[in-house]
Amino acid sequence: MPRPRAFSAQTLAVMAALACQPSAWRHGYDLATETGLKSGTLYPILIRLADRQLVEACWEEGQPAGRPRRHLYRLTGDGLAAAKSALAIAAEVPAKAMRPTRRVAAPRRLAGENS
Amino acid sequence: MERALVVLLRTAARMLPPARRQWAEALQAEAGQVPAGRTRVHWLAGGLWLVAREGSVTRKVAYWLGIGAVAAAAAWTVWVSWRTVSAADGEITTDRVRILVGLVALIVLPWAGRKRGWFGPVGSGAAARAFRVVGCAAVCGLGVALIRIDSHAGNNGIGYGAFNWMREVGGLTLFGAVLAMPPVLKARWPQLEASTLWSLAGLAGVVVWAIMPVQLLTIGYFAAILAATSRRSPVTGTSLVAGTVTGLATGLIIFGLAAISGDIGLTVVYPVVASIFALAIPAGIASAWRLGETDNSKEGRETRIRQGLLAGTVSGAVCSLLLTYAFIGFGLMMVFGPMIGVVGGAVGGAIAADHPRNSPRQGSWAAGLFFIARDGQTS
Repeated sequence: MPRPRAFSAQTLAVMAALACQPSAWRHGYDLATETGLKSGTLYPILIRLADRQLVEACWEEGQPAGRPRRHLYRLTGDGLAAAKSALAIAAEVPAKAMRPTRRVAAPRRLAGENS
Repeated sequence: MERALVVLLRTAARMLPPARRQWAEALQAEAGQVPAGRTRVHWLAGGLWLVAREGSVTRKVAYWLGIGAVAAAAAWTVWVSWRTVSAADGEITTDRVRILVGLVALIVLPWAGRKRGWFGPVGSGAAARAFRVVGCAAVCGLGVALIRIDSHAGNNGIGYGAFNWMREVGGLTLFGAVLAMPPVLKARWPQLEASTLWSLAGLAGVVVWAIMPVQLLTIGYFAAILAATSRRSPVTGTSLVAGTVTGLATGLIIFGLAAISGDIGLTVVYPVVASIFALAIPAGIASAWRLGETDNSKEGRETRIRQGLLAGTVSGAVCSLLLTYAFIGFGLMMVFGPMIGVVGGAVGGAIAADHPRNSPRQGSWAAGLFFIARDGQTS
């Protein structure tokens, strides 16, 4: 059985952003603003997560006035579980063993967490 | 600038597979919400990067440039063969015909095997693409080496002598018969075992090899390179890389041995055989280890040995090709090198199966990054 791949820092940032409000649909620019990721990084991540069925995507219903319809994203049940698990592991790994190469926004606290 | 990028993105998005196109459209739909100016330009530029990445544009461009390089190498080989006058080399007509036959094989093989996928399309990995391009160019280069050697040898009676239509046409006909033999025999006598078919084809192949070794080796190497790098090939990217690295290393070691002994002739055959065998082992180990999670079942063991064997074959073939460049007498090694590599690679695969690599550590470097980022915000 293949070993499940570890998530990159950027992927974890996106998952953390989506996991804050798991039931809410988010759009790309919103996620980019929150995570600090550029579009060329964010969208490939969303594609990979959607391929692995951790994120579901759909187009906005109806035609909003003055702007094109947006593509919306949220975590699936599996995606939320994976996000919680990955973020928990991330918090446990000693920082001294790691070498950060790029600055990304810190993941926000997950929905339902009190402390 | 923004308008130009929007148009460019819309056009470029058509290069994406249909399933991926909506993502480029999504990015484009968001562009209106992004503040105008530099931010929006960056956003749209990211879209172009997305298209290049998801459409594997860079890889495709690099591959087709490589195909162009192979075509140039093939054209150069033909040009060199035509430039050489027959006064300087009595075998030049034979060389020209053989080079043209090799060229035809390079074009016809991918075409002939396209439906069943034996020889194409190329695998999606960078290793497969690079190996296909560099390997085919190297075999073309062998033609140039052959012509140069023949030119230097002059009309001294060494080699195959003047052109002989009967030999060339007869050899090619026999070669075609060898290729057609297994499917025809299988269709006529379905109960025949595969081993019998391959044995018969192998025997006929030996006869063809005796008649026209250069063509058989050229066509065989082209076919092997195309088959090993096709999408349905069982040879993994790791096996290609490990085999190439160890094959090149073996070749360099043999050059070193030859330099020390002052002879690159056949007196170094035993060290050559030993080196190919020895360095095929790490290739086999590396490729078998990279197969993923440890599986102690019989099938898992066989899979590892098979992959090690393939990596060893690649190693032996690469080394033999390199040696043949240096000394045409080593052309024989183009047959025996892969065979020796098979044994070494199988040994490596078996070692890897018996000594499974420890599981990689859990977690990732990303974890630490978040730890740092989180601490940075809370402090």
